[in-house]
Amino acid sequence: MIDNLILGFQTALTPENLLWCLVGVVVGTVIGLLPGLGSTTGVAVLLPLTFAFEPVTALIMLAGIYYGAQYGGTITSVLIATPGEAASVVTTLDGYQMARKGRAGAALAIAAIGSFVAAILSLVLLMAVAPPLAQLAVQFGPVENLAIMTLGLVIVVTFQGGKLVRGAMMAALGLLLATVGVSTGFGEARFTFGAVELLGGIPFVEVTIGLFALGEVLHQIRVGAAAPIRAGFRDMVISRRDVSKSIPSILRGSGIGFMLGILPGAGSTLASFMAYGIERRVSRNRDQFGRGAIEGVASPESANNAAANANFIPTLSLGIPGGATTAVLLGAFTMYGLQPGPLLFETQPALVWGLLVSFFIGNVVLLLLNLPLAPVFAQMLRVPYGYLYPIILLTSIIGAYAVSNNTFSIWIVVVFGIIGWILKEIDLPLAPLVLGLVLGPLLEKALVQTSAVGDGNLGVVFTSPMAVVVLILCMLLCTGPSILRALRKRSQDPVREHSQVE
Amino acid sequence: MKSRTNHLAIGAVAAAAVLLAGCSSTGSSAEEFAAPTRATMIVPFAAGGGSDVSGRAVASGLEGVTGLTVTVENREGGAGAVGYSALLGMEGREDVLLASELALVSLPLAQDVSFRSDSFTPIMNLGGDYALLMTAASSEFETCADVVTAAKAERVVTAVTGATGIDEITVSLIEQDQDVEFARVPYESGGEVVAALLGGHVDVAPLNPSEVVGQLESGDLRALCAFTEERYAYEELAAIPTAAEQGIDVAFAQFRGFIAPGGISEDARKYWIEAAEAFADSEQYTDYIESNMMQPNAVYGDEFVAFLDETRADVEAALG
Repeated sequence: MIDNLILGFQTALTPENLLWCLVGVVVGTVIGLLPGLGSTTGVAVLLPLTFAFEPVTALIMLAGIYYGAQYGGTITSVLIATPGEAASVVTTLDGYQMARKGRAGAALAIAAIGSFVAAILSLVLLMAVAPPLAQLAVQFGPVENLAIMTLGLVIVVTFQGGKLVRGAMMAALGLLLATVGVSTGFGEARFTFGAVELLGGIPFVEVTIGLFALGEVLHQIRVGAAAPIRAGFRDMVISRRDVSKSIPSILRGSGIGFMLGILPGAGSTLASFMAYGIERRVSRNRDQFGRGAIEGVASPESANNAAANANFIPTLSLGIPGGATTAVLLGAFTMYGLQPGPLLFETQPALVWGLLVSFFIGNVVLLLLNLPLAPVFAQMLRVPYGYLYPIILLTSIIGAYAVSNNTFSIWIVVVFGIIGWILKEIDLPLAPLVLGLVLGPLLEKALVQTSAVGDGNLGVVFTSPMAVVVLILCMLLCTGPSILRALRKRSQDPVREHSQVE
Repeated sequence: MKSRTNHLAIGAVAAAAVLLAGCSSTGSSAEEFAAPTRATMIVPFAAGGGSDVSGRAVASGLEGVTGLTVTVENREGGAGAVGYSALLGMEGREDVLLASELALVSLPLAQDVSFRSDSFTPIMNLGGDYALLMTAASSEFETCADVVTAAKAERVVTAVTGATGIDEITVSLIEQDQDVEFARVPYESGGEVVAALLGGHVDVAPLNPSEVVGQLESGDLRALCAFTEERYAYEELAAIPTAAEQGIDVAFAQFRGFIAPGGISEDARKYWIEAAEAFADSEQYTDYIESNMMQPNAVYGDEFVAFLDETRADVEAALG
């Protein structure tokens, strides 16, 4: 272990590797910042430029882009309610509200701190126990995945508190939209109305840009120009109290993110939603959620970074991609003539440990970069909205076009922008819709697979203790609060009768 | 050194052609073919998959031999339908290519798409990617014949990716040849299937060698047979018997190549075929074939068309 670490530091600390690590994380931050352009596209586009490099240098840079993007995605979520990355959608809920109260600096800083802590914790686990964790992860089959996806949906539907029905409605709408396109396993085209562009389904990134960026701009136009936020420098800087308040949230977020990140396919978006949903239930400050609670930023941002790092566990120790971006990275391995697989740790120790140590360095760089920059970015909100909104509109549309080089994407943004605005006007939550759209294909796949495993009988879920436990948890989450309320009422009733007598 | 002079020569010719085209563009000879300086390689699948790897290898190979700038563009969705349909809409474009594979043939047979496998201009077939029948190290199966015997008596679960992919076709061919039936669980990528085998969620799965060579080396997965005509020459795979050796008469390959849109000029077709031939002679081609453990089978133009017709007949027979 110590030998491996020393080897890793020797590899990662060469001037060349340090330089490209720095370049990677900065480029990653910018890519994460731009709506539409995600880390998967970023890594795929920059891949050919790295052929001239040593494999380890190239991978250090490309991985830097990946986790750098997780930091960058937060910035626009907080400032202008436009998530740069799918995993940052849920951050808009409280991050944007914090920004409206002049606390954008604190939100960005806690996101950076949470991301950093989560990254370091998950890296330590990654280095210490990656292979056994990977073995554990493959035990999660279709049945267990189905249970986890259900849990994800239930948590998000119920995190709206009293607005359970509204959350459920929007999640159902998201799931419904997710059925457009070619179905898993059968290859049938559904609800495409002959449009080729819809065969691949309703594209998630464009929907997010429309709902959030365009929807918010339309909403603000109707509400009337708000005064630019004039916050003093004190409010822009994070206070010690903010940090200490957020520590439990960061730790919980890291744990949830790490666990979901190991599972191939679940990914950091689900992790961030689940972390937020759980935080909203257990946090001491839960009443403030949705109104600018710092915990509501700390927890999902920690979760998405932990998940991004945990994604490397199946990737490096089994050669199985943990998510879309790690799939591109695995493709890169082959192009450099490396053989990803269970023996990678043994056959390429310098590469693997150099890469892992570079994650430490990259995350330190990102923290040092993002902390002082947080108040600077927050100053952007001093720009009057009359100037800010055209810029948001322009970057949104360019971002959408960049995803697929296709004008169809722009139409999706426009249509969902209008939908997002209407939903906002009638006070329906957008986040469950987004998660429904993200989870839809995954849930459907798990359902089809579970049915196939059980030869058409979904009762096969009862053969997995793990799935049963998770499903019971789902039921408790749905019915628990109303049962508790009923119990409380009963215990209060005699008191009320008593007071009536008096 | 040789490839560099080659590169320069072609570059110079291309530059001259562009100049000429520029001069004459005011005239009526706009129909005349001018070698492009930039080209796009459409990959109809997501970044990171087998198609993506092949598209990128061809793109950088063509850059090397022609001096063009070839940009790779992933247009994924609908199991390839989105990318191929996009190419259909680019009829006559002489600066666009598409990294093609089995979906070119199987999608029009299985799905309601607007293109047919002869809607395009086939340029080059790179080679064949055969499948191995894989199982977990702890499995009781030792050969493909064992699997078939078991399937006659009980439920044997295999993983397949997509309803028209190479795994589905391979499994269907075994079923037809041996008169058995397998239960199928659908997955979306080779990586997911490897995880399913390791976790014991499926009994067997057909996978390409490049997807499993890591697990073969470590001994976590075992190859039962190869659906090839002859045994592999690659050292890591030479010991794997063919299906035919075990009495199962099935050999089928996923081809990989690239195509241009339909309706391009004869000159343009010739230009791309010449570039493809130069690419096939380069080290990059050999590297691509070997690192992905494919069987080289470089055919161009009309020969590739004939190959596609054969493949279509095979797929039609397999999918019924």
